[in-house]
Amino acid sequence: MNSLPNLRLVMRAVTGLSVLTAVLVCAQTTVIARLPRTSRAEILARARKLAEHGWVCNASNLNASCSHRYRSDWKAGQHITGLPYRWGGADTVEEFDKKIAQGLAAGAHSQFGVLSCAAGVDCSGFVTQCWGLAGSGHAYSTSNLRDIAGEPKYNWFSDMKPGDALNLAGSHVVLFTGYNHDGTINVCEASGSKARVVCHATTWSRFKGYRPLQYKGIDE
Amino acid sequence: MARLSALMLLFILSALPGTTAPVESPGGPPNICSYPISQTVRIPVAIRRAGDADQGGDTDAALLWVTSGAKDELPEGPSSFDVLEDGSFVIADPLRDRLAIFDSNAKFLQEWKLGFAADSVSITANELILVEEASTGTLHVLDRSGRLQPDAYTVLPQRGEASVLTPKNGIVARKGRDGQNRAPIEVRFDRPGQALLSLESLATDAAGNSFIALESTVEGKASPDVNVDKVVRRYDSEGLLVGETSTLPLDYFVTPVDELRVHRGSVYQLQTTKSEVRINIWKTNEGCPHP
Repeated sequence: MNSLPNLRLVMRAVTGLSVLTAVLVCAQTTVIARLPRTSRAEILARARKLAEHGWVCNASNLNASCSHRYRSDWKAGQHITGLPYRWGGADTVEEFDKKIAQGLAAGAHSQFGVLSCAAGVDCSGFVTQCWGLAGSGHAYSTSNLRDIAGEPKYNWFSDMKPGDALNLAGSHVVLFTGYNHDGTINVCEASGSKARVVCHATTWSRFKGYRPLQYKGIDE
Repeated sequence: MARLSALMLLFILSALPGTTAPVESPGGPPNICSYPISQTVRIPVAIRRAGDADQGGDTDAALLWVTSGAKDELPEGPSSFDVLEDGSFVIADPLRDRLAIFDSNAKFLQEWKLGFAADSVSITANELILVEEASTGTLHVLDRSGRLQPDAYTVLPQRGEASVLTPKNGIVARKGRDGQNRAPIEVRFDRPGQALLSLESLATDAAGNSFIALESTVEGKASPDVNVDKVVRRYDSEGLLVGETSTLPLDYFVTPVDELRVHRGSVYQLQTTKSEVRINIWKTNEGCPHP
Protein backbone atom coordinates (compact mmCIF):
# COMPACT_ATOMS: atom_id res chain seq x y z
CA MET A 1 0.00 0.00 0.00
CA ASN A 2 2.85 2.36 0.86
CA SER A 3 4.89 1.46 -2.14
CA LEU A 4 3.35 4.16 -4.36
CA PRO A 5 4.32 7.16 -2.19
CA ASN A 6 7.80 5.62 -1.79
CA LEU A 7 8.07 5.25 -5.53
CA ARG A 8 7.04 8.89 -5.93
CA LEU A 9 9.75 9.91 -3.44
CA VAL A 10 12.32 7.89 -5.34
CA MET A 11 11.17 9.39 -8.64
CA ARG A 12 11.42 12.90 -7.17
CA ALA A 13 14.91 12.19 -5.86
CA VAL A 14 16.02 10.81 -9.21
CA THR A 15 14.54 13.80 -11.02
CA GLY A 16 16.24 16.14 -8.54
CA LEU A 17 19.57 14.44 -9.04
CA SER A 18 19.20 14.57 -12.79
CA VAL A 19 18.44 18.29 -12.67
CA LEU A 20 21.41 18.89 -10.35
CA THR A 21 23.70 16.90 -12.63
CA ALA A 22 22.41 18.77 -15.64
CA VAL A 23 23.00 22.11 -13.90
CA LEU A 24 26.55 21.11 -12.92
CA VAL A 25 27.37 19.83 -16.41
CA CYS A 26 25.85 22.95 -17.88
CA ALA A 27 27.85 25.18 -15.52
CA GLN A 28 31.07 23.33 -16.34
CA THR A 29 30.29 23.53 -20.06
CA THR A 30 29.69 27.26 -19.66
CA VAL A 31 33.06 27.71 -17.91
CA ILE A 32 34.80 25.80 -20.69
CA ALA A 33 32.86 27.70 -23.35
CA ARG A 34 33.98 30.97 -21.78
CA LEU A 35 37.64 29.98 -21.67
CA PRO A 36 39.73 31.88 -24.18
CA ARG A 37 41.01 29.64 -26.95
CA THR A 38 44.75 29.50 -27.50
CA SER A 39 47.38 27.46 -29.30
CA ARG A 40 50.39 25.77 -27.76
CA ALA A 41 52.68 28.10 -29.72
CA GLU A 42 50.94 31.09 -28.15
CA ILE A 43 51.30 29.57 -24.66
CA LEU A 44 55.04 29.12 -25.13
CA ALA A 45 55.41 32.62 -26.59
CA ARG A 46 53.73 34.11 -23.51
CA ALA A 47 56.01 32.08 -21.22
CA ARG A 48 59.09 33.31 -23.08
CA LYS A 49 57.88 36.90 -22.91
CA LEU A 50 57.56 36.69 -19.11
CA ALA A 51 60.85 34.83 -18.63
CA GLU A 52 62.86 37.04 -20.96
CA HIS A 53 61.49 40.40 -19.91
CA GLY A 54 64.37 42.68 -18.96
CA TRP A 55 63.93 45.43 -16.39
CA VAL A 56 65.99 47.59 -14.07
CA CYS A 57 65.37 47.74 -10.33
CA ASN A 58 65.30 51.36 -9.16
CA ALA A 59 65.74 52.50 -5.57
CA SER A 60 62.00 53.20 -5.38
CA ASN A 61 61.26 49.53 -6.17
CA LEU A 62 63.18 48.25 -3.13
CA ASN A 63 60.53 49.27 -0.62
CA ALA A 64 56.86 48.40 -0.24
CA SER A 65 54.72 51.27 1.03
CA CYS A 66 52.12 48.87 2.43
CA SER A 67 54.55 46.67 4.43
CA HIS A 68 57.17 47.88 6.87
CA ARG A 69 58.61 44.35 7.12
CA TYR A 70 59.22 44.06 3.38
CA ARG A 71 62.65 43.01 2.19
CA SER A 72 63.62 43.17 -1.48
CA ASP A 73 65.42 40.43 -3.41
CA TRP A 74 67.39 43.00 -5.40
CA LYS A 75 69.67 46.00 -5.24
CA ALA A 76 69.18 49.38 -6.86
CA GLY A 77 70.47 49.53 -10.42
CA GLN A 78 70.44 45.79 -11.04
CA HIS A 79 69.46 44.64 -14.52
CA ILE A 80 67.23 41.58 -14.22
CA THR A 81 65.76 39.17 -16.74
CA GLY A 82 62.40 37.66 -15.85
CA LEU A 83 59.30 39.11 -14.24
CA PRO A 84 59.61 39.17 -10.41
CA TYR A 85 57.90 36.60 -8.25
CA ARG A 86 55.03 38.13 -6.26
CA TRP A 87 52.94 35.83 -4.10
CA GLY A 88 49.29 36.32 -5.10
CA GLY A 89 50.32 38.31 -8.19
CA ALA A 90 49.16 37.93 -11.79
CA ASP A 91 50.61 41.00 -13.54
CA THR A 92 51.24 41.02 -17.26
CA VAL A 93 54.52 42.47 -18.57
CA GLU A 94 52.72 45.71 -19.44
CA GLU A 95 51.08 45.99 -15.99
CA PHE A 96 54.39 45.21 -14.32
CA ASP A 97 56.29 47.90 -16.25
CA LYS A 98 53.62 50.44 -15.38
CA LYS A 99 53.75 49.57 -11.66
CA ILE A 100 57.54 49.63 -11.56
CA ALA A 101 57.53 53.05 -13.19
CA GLN A 102 55.09 54.17 -10.46
CA GLY A 103 57.56 53.07 -7.79
CA LEU A 104 55.86 49.91 -6.54
CA ALA A 105 57.97 47.19 -4.98
CA ALA A 106 59.44 44.60 -7.34
CA GLY A 107 58.13 41.21 -6.21
CA ALA A 108 57.23 39.85 -2.77
CA HIS A 109 57.12 36.54 -0.90
CA SER A 110 54.32 35.03 1.18
CA GLN A 111 55.89 36.02 4.49
CA PHE A 112 54.89 39.62 3.72
CA GLY A 113 51.34 38.72 2.70
CA VAL A 114 49.67 39.51 -0.63
CA LEU A 115 50.99 43.01 -1.28
CA SER A 116 48.93 45.37 -3.41
CA CYS A 117 51.91 47.75 -3.40
CA ALA A 118 54.16 45.24 -5.20
CA ALA A 119 54.35 44.02 -8.80
CA GLY A 120 54.94 40.58 -10.23
CA VAL A 121 53.44 37.16 -10.73
CA ASP A 122 53.28 33.90 -8.75
CA CYS A 123 53.31 30.30 -9.96
CA SER A 124 49.60 29.90 -10.74
CA GLY A 125 49.33 33.51 -11.96
CA PHE A 126 52.14 32.72 -14.39
CA VAL A 127 50.66 29.48 -15.74
CA THR A 128 47.15 30.90 -16.18
CA GLN A 129 48.57 33.95 -17.91
CA CYS A 130 50.49 31.66 -20.28
CA TRP A 131 47.21 29.88 -21.00
CA GLY A 132 45.72 33.20 -22.08
CA LEU A 133 43.79 34.08 -18.92
CA ALA A 134 45.57 37.35 -18.24
CA GLY A 135 42.31 39.20 -17.67
CA SER A 136 41.07 36.85 -14.95
CA GLY A 137 42.95 38.57 -12.12
CA HIS A 138 44.02 35.76 -9.83
CA ALA A 139 40.92 33.60 -10.05
CA TYR A 140 42.85 30.34 -10.15
CA SER A 141 45.32 28.83 -7.71
CA THR A 142 46.98 25.42 -7.72
CA SER A 143 43.92 24.16 -5.80
CA ASN A 144 41.30 25.01 -8.45
CA LEU A 145 43.27 24.86 -11.70
CA ARG A 146 41.36 21.63 -12.30
CA ASP A 147 38.30 23.81 -13.10
CA ILE A 148 39.97 24.95 -16.31
CA ALA A 149 42.43 22.11 -16.95
CA GLY A 150 41.86 18.38 -17.23
CA GLU A 151 44.04 15.56 -16.01
CA PRO A 152 44.92 13.77 -19.24
CA LYS A 153 44.98 9.98 -19.27
CA TYR A 154 48.43 9.73 -20.75
CA ASN A 155 51.91 8.74 -19.60
CA TRP A 156 53.41 11.87 -18.12
CA PHE A 157 56.93 10.69 -18.91
CA SER A 158 56.35 10.39 -22.66
CA ASP A 159 53.11 12.05 -23.78
CA MET A 160 53.02 15.54 -22.30
CA LYS A 161 52.90 18.37 -24.80
CA PRO A 162 54.49 21.81 -24.52
CA GLY A 163 52.01 24.09 -22.78
CA ASP A 164 50.72 21.43 -20.36
CA ALA A 165 51.46 21.94 -16.66
CA LEU A 166 52.71 19.94 -13.69
CA ASN A 167 50.68 20.82 -10.62
CA LEU A 168 50.85 19.98 -6.94
CA ALA A 169 47.59 21.28 -5.47
CA GLY A 170 48.20 23.72 -2.63
CA SER A 171 51.90 23.96 -3.37
CA HIS A 172 53.29 24.81 -6.81
CA VAL A 173 52.69 24.60 -10.55
CA VAL A 174 55.09 24.82 -13.52
CA LEU A 175 54.61 25.00 -17.28
CA PHE A 176 56.02 22.03 -19.18
CA THR A 177 57.87 23.04 -22.36
CA GLY A 178 59.52 19.82 -23.58
CA TYR A 179 61.51 16.62 -23.06
CA ASN A 180 65.28 16.37 -23.43
CA HIS A 181 67.10 13.41 -24.96
CA ASP A 182 68.64 12.55 -21.57
CA GLY A 183 65.11 12.11 -20.18
CA THR A 184 65.06 15.33 -18.15
CA ILE A 185 62.42 17.97 -18.86
CA ASN A 186 62.25 21.68 -19.60
CA VAL A 187 59.91 23.85 -17.57
CA CYS A 188 59.14 27.52 -17.07
CA GLU A 189 57.96 28.72 -13.67
CA ALA A 190 57.51 31.70 -11.41
CA SER A 191 60.03 30.60 -8.81
CA GLY A 192 60.04 31.95 -5.27
CA SER A 193 63.59 30.83 -4.58
CA LYS A 194 64.85 32.44 -7.81
CA ALA A 195 62.56 35.43 -7.19
CA ARG A 196 61.45 35.61 -10.82
CA VAL A 197 60.12 33.76 -13.87
CA VAL A 198 62.73 31.36 -15.23
CA CYS A 199 62.93 28.56 -17.80
CA HIS A 200 65.30 25.68 -17.20
CA ALA A 201 65.95 21.96 -17.52
CA THR A 202 65.32 19.80 -14.48
CA THR A 203 64.98 16.20 -13.32
CA TRP A 204 61.75 14.33 -12.60
CA SER A 205 62.50 13.74 -8.92
CA ARG A 206 61.71 17.40 -8.28
CA PHE A 207 58.12 16.73 -9.30
CA LYS A 208 57.36 13.63 -7.31
CA GLY A 209 53.62 13.74 -6.52
CA TYR A 210 52.80 16.42 -9.12
CA ARG A 211 50.02 15.78 -11.65
CA PRO A 212 49.95 16.80 -15.30
CA LEU A 213 47.25 19.25 -16.37
CA GLN A 214 46.06 20.20 -19.83
CA TYR A 215 44.30 23.54 -20.32
CA LYS A 216 40.75 23.01 -21.61
CA GLY A 217 40.93 25.97 -24.00
CA ILE A 218 43.76 24.65 -26.15
CA ASP A 219 43.21 24.57 -29.92
CA GLU A 220 45.01 21.43 -31.04
CA MET B 1 66.92 -22.44 -35.06
CA ALA B 2 65.05 -20.17 -32.67
CA ARG B 3 66.85 -21.79 -29.76
CA LEU B 4 70.20 -21.21 -31.45
CA SER B 5 69.31 -17.53 -32.02
CA ALA B 6 68.35 -17.14 -28.39
CA LEU B 7 71.64 -18.67 -27.29
CA MET B 8 73.57 -16.35 -29.61
CA LEU B 9 71.64 -13.36 -28.25
CA LEU B 10 72.42 -14.47 -24.71
CA PHE B 11 76.10 -14.77 -25.61
CA ILE B 12 76.15 -11.26 -27.16
CA LEU B 13 74.34 -9.73 -24.20
CA SER B 14 76.67 -11.37 -21.72
CA ALA B 15 79.64 -9.77 -23.48
CA LEU B 16 78.17 -6.26 -23.19
CA PRO B 17 79.28 -3.90 -20.39
CA GLY B 18 77.04 -3.94 -17.37
CA THR B 19 76.45 -7.66 -17.20
CA THR B 20 79.76 -8.71 -15.69
CA ALA B 21 79.50 -6.93 -12.36
CA PRO B 22 80.97 -8.97 -9.56
CA VAL B 23 78.38 -9.21 -6.84
CA GLU B 24 74.69 -9.43 -6.27
CA SER B 25 72.22 -7.05 -4.78
CA PRO B 26 69.18 -8.12 -2.78
CA GLY B 27 66.16 -6.25 -4.09
CA GLY B 28 68.07 -4.61 -6.90
CA PRO B 29 68.79 -5.76 -10.43
CA PRO B 30 70.55 -9.12 -10.58
CA ASN B 31 74.34 -9.14 -10.21
CA ILE B 32 74.62 -5.51 -9.17
CA CYS B 33 76.22 -4.44 -5.92
CA SER B 34 73.90 -2.23 -3.85
CA TYR B 35 75.50 0.35 -1.55
CA PRO B 36 73.42 1.36 1.48
CA ILE B 37 73.67 4.84 3.03
CA SER B 38 76.97 4.75 4.94
CA GLN B 39 76.41 7.91 6.93
CA THR B 40 74.00 10.82 7.30
CA VAL B 41 75.34 14.18 8.40
CA ARG B 42 72.63 16.24 10.12
CA ILE B 43 72.79 20.02 10.42
CA PRO B 44 69.94 21.78 12.26
CA VAL B 45 67.86 24.45 10.55
CA ALA B 46 65.73 27.28 11.93
CA ILE B 47 62.45 28.50 10.45
CA ARG B 48 62.81 32.13 9.42
CA ARG B 49 59.94 34.26 10.62
CA ALA B 50 58.35 37.09 8.66
CA GLY B 51 60.61 40.11 8.45
CA ASP B 52 63.68 38.34 9.85
CA ALA B 53 66.87 39.62 8.32
CA ASP B 54 70.28 38.32 9.23
CA GLN B 55 71.92 41.20 11.10
CA GLY B 56 74.64 39.05 12.67
CA GLY B 57 75.07 39.61 16.41
CA ASP B 58 72.95 37.20 18.39
CA THR B 59 71.96 35.10 15.38
CA ASP B 60 73.42 31.64 15.74
CA ALA B 61 75.86 31.29 12.83
CA ALA B 62 75.65 27.50 13.00
CA LEU B 63 71.97 27.50 12.03
CA LEU B 64 70.83 27.30 8.43
CA TRP B 65 67.55 29.01 7.63
CA VAL B 66 64.41 27.79 5.89
CA THR B 67 61.00 29.36 5.33
CA SER B 68 57.88 27.38 6.06
CA GLY B 69 56.34 28.17 2.67
CA ALA B 70 52.64 28.87 2.17
CA LYS B 71 49.71 27.92 0.00
CA ASP B 72 51.07 28.16 -3.55
CA GLU B 73 54.60 28.95 -2.38
CA LEU B 74 57.31 26.37 -1.89
CA PRO B 75 59.50 26.48 1.22
CA GLU B 76 62.92 28.04 0.62
CA GLY B 77 66.30 27.32 2.15
CA PRO B 78 69.53 25.41 1.48
CA SER B 79 69.22 23.88 -1.99
CA SER B 80 72.82 23.41 -3.04
CA PHE B 81 76.13 22.23 -1.64
CA ASP B 82 79.50 20.79 -2.54
CA VAL B 83 82.31 18.90 -0.84
CA LEU B 84 85.70 20.53 -0.26
CA GLU B 85 88.96 18.63 -0.64
CA ASP B 86 89.21 17.93 3.11
CA GLY B 87 85.70 16.46 3.18
CA SER B 88 84.00 19.48 4.72
CA PHE B 89 80.80 20.85 3.21
CA VAL B 90 80.08 24.23 1.70
CA ILE B 91 76.31 24.85 1.83
CA ALA B 92 74.43 27.67 0.16
CA ASP B 93 72.28 29.40 2.80
CA PRO B 94 70.26 31.78 0.60
CA LEU B 95 68.07 33.26 3.34
CA ARG B 96 71.19 34.47 5.14
CA ASP B 97 73.01 35.61 1.99
CA ARG B 98 76.00 33.41 2.72
CA LEU B 99 77.84 30.13 2.28
CA ALA B 100 78.22 28.13 5.48
CA ILE B 101 81.07 25.67 5.98
CA PHE B 102 80.63 22.54 8.13
CA ASP B 103 83.08 19.74 8.75
CA SER B 104 82.27 16.13 7.95
CA ASN B 105 80.73 15.71 11.43
CA ALA B 106 78.32 18.65 11.00
CA LYS B 107 80.40 20.99 13.17
CA PHE B 108 80.08 24.60 12.04
CA LEU B 109 83.45 25.97 10.90
CA GLN B 110 82.86 29.36 9.32
CA GLU B 111 80.66 31.44 7.04
CA TRP B 112 81.39 33.43 3.93
CA LYS B 113 79.11 36.42 3.58
CA LEU B 114 78.10 36.97 -0.02
CA GLY B 115 75.70 39.91 0.12
CA PHE B 116 73.24 37.98 -2.07
CA ALA B 117 71.19 34.78 -1.96
CA ALA B 118 72.99 31.86 -3.61
CA ASP B 119 71.06 28.84 -4.82
CA SER B 120 73.86 26.93 -6.53
CA VAL B 121 77.43 26.27 -5.44
CA SER B 122 80.06 24.04 -7.02
CA ILE B 123 83.80 23.43 -6.73
CA THR B 124 85.40 23.97 -10.12
CA ALA B 125 88.12 21.95 -11.81
CA ASN B 126 90.74 24.55 -10.82
CA GLU B 127 89.71 24.47 -7.15
CA LEU B 128 87.69 27.66 -7.11
CA ILE B 129 84.12 27.99 -5.87
CA LEU B 130 81.44 28.92 -8.36
CA VAL B 131 78.31 30.48 -6.93
CA GLU B 132 75.08 31.41 -8.72
CA GLU B 133 73.13 34.39 -7.46
CA ALA B 134 69.55 33.13 -7.10
CA SER B 135 67.65 36.26 -8.07
CA THR B 136 69.69 37.22 -11.14
CA GLY B 137 71.45 34.07 -12.33
CA THR B 138 74.80 35.89 -12.18
CA LEU B 139 77.80 33.62 -11.60
CA HIS B 140 80.43 34.63 -9.03
CA VAL B 141 83.82 33.06 -8.36
CA LEU B 142 85.29 32.73 -4.86
CA ASP B 143 88.75 31.56 -3.84
CA ARG B 144 89.24 28.87 -1.21
CA SER B 145 89.12 31.50 1.52
CA GLY B 146 85.70 32.68 0.44
CA ARG B 147 86.87 35.94 -1.14
CA LEU B 148 85.08 37.05 -4.29
CA GLN B 149 87.38 36.93 -7.33
CA PRO B 150 85.79 39.20 -9.94
CA ASP B 151 88.53 38.59 -12.52
CA ALA B 152 89.10 34.91 -11.92
CA TYR B 153 89.19 32.44 -14.76
CA THR B 154 87.51 29.18 -13.99
CA VAL B 155 86.76 25.89 -15.64
CA LEU B 156 83.25 24.55 -15.29
CA PRO B 157 82.93 20.91 -14.26
CA GLN B 158 82.71 18.70 -17.36
CA ARG B 159 79.80 16.32 -17.52
CA GLY B 160 79.19 13.70 -20.16
CA GLU B 161 76.22 14.07 -22.42
CA ALA B 162 73.57 11.42 -21.85
CA SER B 163 70.78 9.93 -23.96
CA VAL B 164 67.93 7.63 -23.00
CA LEU B 165 67.41 5.33 -25.99
CA THR B 166 64.65 3.02 -24.75
CA PRO B 167 62.99 2.36 -21.36
CA LYS B 168 65.70 -0.26 -20.85
CA ASN B 169 68.91 1.42 -21.97
CA GLY B 170 70.81 4.59 -22.72
CA ILE B 171 74.33 5.90 -23.29
CA VAL B 172 76.55 8.42 -21.51
CA ALA B 173 79.53 10.05 -23.22
CA ARG B 174 82.79 10.25 -21.29
CA LYS B 175 86.34 11.46 -21.62
CA GLY B 176 89.56 9.80 -20.54
CA ARG B 177 92.13 11.38 -18.22
CA ASP B 178 93.86 12.77 -21.28
CA GLY B 179 90.69 14.67 -22.19
CA GLN B 180 90.09 12.52 -25.25
CA ASN B 181 86.71 11.00 -25.95
CA ARG B 182 86.38 7.40 -24.91
CA ALA B 183 83.79 4.86 -25.82
CA PRO B 184 80.49 5.90 -24.23
CA ILE B 185 79.10 3.97 -21.29
CA GLU B 186 76.16 1.81 -22.22
CA VAL B 187 73.63 1.95 -19.40
CA ARG B 188 71.41 -1.10 -19.28
CA PHE B 189 68.42 -0.92 -17.00
CA ASP B 190 67.10 -4.39 -16.25
CA ARG B 191 65.01 -3.73 -13.16
CA PRO B 192 61.83 -5.80 -13.59
CA GLY B 193 58.65 -3.73 -13.94
CA GLN B 194 60.57 -0.46 -14.13
CA ALA B 195 61.28 1.89 -17.05
CA LEU B 196 64.30 4.15 -17.34
CA LEU B 197 63.30 7.82 -17.30
CA SER B 198 66.47 9.87 -17.27
CA LEU B 199 70.26 9.73 -17.10
CA GLU B 200 72.52 12.36 -15.60
CA SER B 201 76.28 12.17 -15.69
CA LEU B 202 77.47 13.43 -12.30
CA ALA B 203 81.25 13.05 -12.38
CA THR B 204 84.24 11.06 -13.58
CA ASP B 205 87.01 10.76 -11.00
CA ALA B 206 90.78 10.71 -11.52
CA ALA B 207 90.78 6.92 -11.74
CA GLY B 208 88.23 7.01 -14.53
CA ASN B 209 85.23 5.86 -12.49
CA SER B 210 82.00 7.43 -13.72
CA PHE B 211 78.98 8.21 -11.57
CA ILE B 212 75.59 8.39 -13.26
CA ALA B 213 72.20 9.21 -11.73
CA LEU B 214 69.24 7.18 -13.04
CA GLU B 215 65.58 8.03 -12.63
CA SER B 216 62.98 5.35 -13.25
CA THR B 217 59.28 4.75 -12.91
CA VAL B 218 56.82 1.89 -13.12
CA GLU B 219 56.76 0.35 -16.57
CA GLY B 220 53.60 0.47 -18.67
CA LYS B 221 50.66 2.75 -17.90
CA ALA B 222 51.84 5.61 -15.74
CA SER B 223 50.32 6.52 -12.40
CA PRO B 224 48.24 9.74 -12.45
CA ASP B 225 50.91 11.57 -10.45
CA VAL B 226 54.65 11.69 -11.06
CA ASN B 227 56.21 8.70 -9.34
CA VAL B 228 59.98 8.41 -9.54
CA ASP B 229 62.78 6.30 -8.10
CA LYS B 230 66.37 7.48 -8.22
CA VAL B 231 69.74 5.77 -7.78
CA VAL B 232 73.37 6.58 -8.60
CA ARG B 233 75.47 4.01 -10.41
CA ARG B 234 79.23 3.62 -10.46
CA TYR B 235 80.98 2.43 -13.61
CA ASP B 236 84.72 1.64 -13.76
CA SER B 237 87.22 3.09 -16.20
CA GLU B 238 86.36 0.37 -18.71
CA GLY B 239 82.70 1.30 -18.59
CA LEU B 240 81.70 -1.77 -16.61
CA LEU B 241 79.01 -1.45 -13.99
CA VAL B 242 80.41 -1.77 -10.46
CA GLY B 243 77.32 -1.10 -8.36
CA GLU B 244 74.56 1.32 -7.45
CA THR B 245 73.33 3.16 -4.38
CA SER B 246 70.18 2.21 -2.57
CA THR B 247 67.13 4.20 -3.69
CA LEU B 248 67.56 7.87 -2.82
CA PRO B 249 65.10 9.37 -0.33
CA LEU B 250 63.18 12.01 -2.27
CA ASP B 251 60.97 13.47 0.47
CA TYR B 252 62.29 17.01 0.30
CA PHE B 253 60.98 19.99 2.22
CA VAL B 254 63.08 22.44 0.20
CA THR B 255 63.40 21.48 -3.46
CA PRO B 256 67.09 20.99 -4.27
CA VAL B 257 68.88 22.74 -7.13
CA ASP B 258 72.06 20.70 -6.79
CA GLU B 259 70.98 17.47 -5.19
CA LEU B 260 73.98 15.21 -5.81
CA ARG B 261 77.75 15.50 -5.57
CA VAL B 262 80.56 12.98 -5.91
CA HIS B 263 83.84 13.25 -4.03
CA ARG B 264 86.59 10.62 -3.74
CA GLY B 265 84.34 7.72 -4.60
CA SER B 266 81.49 8.75 -2.33
CA VAL B 267 78.06 9.94 -3.46
CA TYR B 268 76.52 12.80 -1.44
CA GLN B 269 72.86 13.83 -1.47
CA LEU B 270 71.50 17.08 -0.04
CA GLN B 271 68.11 16.64 1.58
CA THR B 272 66.68 19.66 3.36
CA THR B 273 63.84 18.74 5.70
CA LYS B 274 61.77 20.92 8.05
CA SER B 275 64.17 20.41 10.93
CA GLU B 276 67.59 19.71 9.43
CA VAL B 277 69.79 19.60 6.40
CA ARG B 278 70.71 15.99 5.82
CA ILE B 279 73.68 14.98 3.75
CA ASN B 280 73.31 11.31 2.90
CA ILE B 281 76.56 9.57 1.97
CA TRP B 282 77.10 6.34 0.03
CA LYS B 283 80.76 5.26 0.24
CA THR B 284 81.22 3.24 -2.93
CA ASN B 285 84.94 2.70 -2.31
CA GLU B 286 84.23 0.50 0.67
CA GLY B 287 83.17 -2.42 -1.48
CA CYS B 288 79.92 -4.21 -1.71
CA PRO B 289 78.29 -5.07 1.64
CA HIS B 290 76.34 -7.93 0.07
CA PRO B 291 78.99 -10.41 -1.13
